[in-house]
Amino acid sequence: MNNEVTVRDESKRFIKFIIQEMKPRGKWLTPFNIISIPIILLGLVILYFRFVYGLGSVTNLSQEFPWGFWIGFDVVTGVAFAGGAYVITFVVYIMRVDKYHSIVRVTVLNGLLAYMFYAGALVLDLGRPWHIINPIIGNSFGLSSVLFLVAWHFLIYMTAEFVEFSPVIAEWLNWKKTEKFVKSLTLGAVILGISLSTLHQSGLGALFLMAKPKIHPLWYSEFIPILFFVSSIYAGLSMIIFEGTISHRVFKDLIDPKSHHSFDDIMLGLGKGAAITMFVYYFFKALIFIHGQHWTLITDGWGLWYLTEVIGFVLIPGFMYAFGVRNRSLSIIRIAAILSLIGIMLNRLNTSIIAYNWNAVVHYIPSWQEFVVTLMVIFAEIWVFRWIVTRMPVFKSSH
Amino acid sequence: MDSFYYVNIFETKGLEYLLLMIFLVLLILLVRYISPPTEKKKRF
Repeated sequence: MNNEVTVRDESKRFIKFIIQEMKPRGKWLTPFNIISIPIILLGLVILYFRFVYGLGSVTNLSQEFPWGFWIGFDVVTGVAFAGGAYVITFVVYIMRVDKYHSIVRVTVLNGLLAYMFYAGALVLDLGRPWHIINPIIGNSFGLSSVLFLVAWHFLIYMTAEFVEFSPVIAEWLNWKKTEKFVKSLTLGAVILGISLSTLHQSGLGALFLMAKPKIHPLWYSEFIPILFFVSSIYAGLSMIIFEGTISHRVFKDLIDPKSHHSFDDIMLGLGKGAAITMFVYYFFKALIFIHGQHWTLITDGWGLWYLTEVIGFVLIPGFMYAFGVRNRSLSIIRIAAILSLIGIMLNRLNTSIIAYNWNAVVHYIPSWQEFVVTLMVIFAEIWVFRWIVTRMPVFKSSH
Repeated sequence: MDSFYYVNIFETKGLEYLLLMIFLVLLILLVRYISPPTEKKKRF
């Protein structure tokens, strides 16, 4: 009887707490809200047309170009940007570098949300979206397909990231025993997460291996999986620098003073990691270029475009990172992070859209609706991120 | 009698090995460049 009363009281307290937390906090009329709300609403209207009348009603996709901006940007680019979570958890939990403990939670949250929203955006691009469950339930597994690997990896990786983040939820709900239990799972989840990340980051590149005749030779290589994996490391680090800089300003009241002081050092450390990775990536590109004897291909417009990507958005930001770290200049590191992110975006879009079917007579250009839906996905992710960090102890160290 | 001829490094893997050697040297230089300078030992 007594037990029953306690459970009932606890349930009431829990429901009351959740209702309280669901209420909006802070000012409503902020520049971000004014811009994002109309775009999210417009995006929802476009999605209504997409699901009722089909892909052709809102996109410029065709039989020649079945993969467009939603796959090229949301999935292929977004997943590379989410690479920071596996890099940081590796550094903190495996390499035992304590310096980065204060950013583990926020980085894992970013990774988890990126996967949920960007990989979730895959549903929008499927002609028959209800078939997305097939590789999971076994209705035609497609064992020999790279997409089978990517689908399973996405699913398991999101679960692993949720486990990594669950101590924060347990702490927020004040569930001490659950918190202790899920904390004990962290290391296992991290090891699983890192293994899966290395495989599916490269797996996304492997998707393009079968499109050899369609991709411009400057972007096609049998080493695409390795290039995708290596570039996801510095993409993730650059994203942490970019998001960290914004979060540090917007949520400065939520960050504990200790983390405030170590922020500069953390940014410099991330910059150092990015500089070395970009250097390695650049030489991979050079080696592949020489191995493929592509000298004759850089004399036309495509060649110039390729050099812009590789020199302008890999080599130069790589040098900027190194220079910024050497001179302890955070502003140079931030500019390098933005250039690196643009470089990753260019590389992924070049591989999946721009240099894809490069010799076709009619080329694919995304419709305005595709851009709006992509913006909607990004804004929706930021809304959820903001809701979580203003309620849960995300900016606290995971010690 | 065999005549002497130069190896064309564009046709062989010479250029790739050369690039790899340059990479390794430059990587060491880069790591040294971005590492914080170590304090010199004071002589008493």
